[in-house]
Amino acid sequence: MSVVDASLAAGYTVEDFLLAVAAGFVVLAIGMLYRAVKGPTMQDRVLAVNVLGTNTVVILAILGAALGEPTFLDIALVYALLNFLMAIAISKFTVERGGVL
Amino acid sequence: MTGAIPLVDGTAPVVAEISAIEATLFAFVVLTALATAFARDVLAAVIVFGAYSLGMAALYTFYRAPDVALTEAAVSAGVTTVLLLLTLAKTTRIDHEAAFESVNYPAAGAVGLLFAGLAVTMVDVPAVGSPDAPVWSNPDVSQWYLAETYARTGVENTVMAVLAAFRGFDTFGEAVVVFAAGIAALIVLRREVFA
Amino acid sequence: MSGTTDGDASDRDDDAEGGDAGTADRDGGSARASAGRLDSESRQGPPYTESQVIMSTVKVVAPFAFTYGLFVTFHGGGSPGGGFQGGAIAAAVVFMIAFAFGIESTRQWLANTVVVALAVGGTLVFAGLGLVPVARGGAFLQYDLLPLPYLDPVKYGMEAVEIVGIAPIVSGVLVGLFFVLARGFNGEGSGPPIGERGYLGSTGDAAAATPDETEGSDQTDETDESDPDAGSTGRAATDGGAR
Repeated sequence: MSVVDASLAAGYTVEDFLLAVAAGFVVLAIGMLYRAVKGPTMQDRVLAVNVLGTNTVVILAILGAALGEPTFLDIALVYALLNFLMAIAISKFTVERGGVL
Repeated sequence: MTGAIPLVDGTAPVVAEISAIEATLFAFVVLTALATAFARDVLAAVIVFGAYSLGMAALYTFYRAPDVALTEAAVSAGVTTVLLLLTLAKTTRIDHEAAFESVNYPAAGAVGLLFAGLAVTMVDVPAVGSPDAPVWSNPDVSQWYLAETYARTGVENTVMAVLAAFRGFDTFGEAVVVFAAGIAALIVLRREVFA
Repeated sequence: MSGTTDGDASDRDDDAEGGDAGTADRDGGSARASAGRLDSESRQGPPYTESQVIMSTVKVVAPFAFTYGLFVTFHGGGSPGGGFQGGAIAAAVVFMIAFAFGIESTRQWLANTVVVALAVGGTLVFAGLGLVPVARGGAFLQYDLLPLPYLDPVKYGMEAVEIVGIAPIVSGVLVGLFFVLARGFNGEGSGPPIGERGYLGSTGDAAAATPDETEGSDQTDETDESDPDAGSTGRAATDGGAR
């Protein structure tokens, strides 16, 4: 019986709690999606995607803890390293629409 | 396997109970997909498509397909966005109003019919995580690979064992397809060298 | 809604860049206009804006990302991952470096030989690993017939396929796609395009020539006027392409 199976309160385990927290982060991501879709400027979208990437890293880490799968952290690590690439690619692209790449 | 995915009996109604994380992730993925399809600006579509891949990776992860999620993360966050942006940088920008075509109603009807047909078949699809789903309960396929992989190949990752050993010839075909894609890009762009 | 605002944003970008080009033409004489731009004095060659933030961050992040790509490749047997994912991550590191330090510089640093050797070598190694058991009387990719001393041939054969086969193919092809897309249709510099005319010129002439030739039976007057010109350019383009 691992930590995530421990009963927290009223029959809810730590796993349920962590999954609920992850769902809350996804709700935050949906809120941030509004900024990514609406804009109005490209800088808003770049920032929104960056925040979404960081949010996803958190979600993946919480999922890994809740489901007892440490290897999920590998995926979170990939996003943490490559989300930066997406951000700099888009932000350099917005200057003169790719003329400076 | 833990019981986080709500399991339903084989005879249970099709509408399985769905957890909050699944519902929110589905909402996120569907919203990003719709936003990508309806974006008026191509650059905005590329950016929102990056967000879509984030949601898909989280969904794959929740369904315990970490190999697929890792592929989605590496290819989508690292490669697809960059290549699409480069393509945009090298092509001319079309005026927004000219780029937005009116709806093709016959095509929309055909797509709607296809969607309706697929939706009808959804009734017979086993619920996600169901222990009675054929792909899981079949002792000759999934269970055999899960049980025999380590003894026969010496690696723990069943997905990699299936890719590299049990279905190695298919993987060779895939690798050749990737190689051919590089050559095809050279031919289409009329180049003799990459760099 | 978003379309109009995007247009405004791009217009603003164009204005800002126009002002910057103006200062560059004046040879950095105006200190007021170039204030806040560290690189506007020393910028030369192809248009490429250096960013101290991006370059410094890439210097820190790239080694970790590349090491992680190698880990995903080499540790594919015990954790999620494998050659495809690791190769894609390693290629993404090259993209990262190219965005930070300029695509042209990265192209010169990572020569065409390296890219081609990765892709072709990976394919050949994969095929070789499959064909060695065939030569020894087995089936394609029958790992236990690989002549490996002291090692489990099945396990290390699979690892070899992932590490020396798939990962180089994927990373090489992705980096090559990146470079060839960054070059575009009519890029300048090394790597001559196939044929003496550019791609756009030949297709433009061919597209102009095709409808005239197909409609030639109906509208003889127009084709008599335009056929010699279109036909000659179309032939020239075809000869150039076949050469």
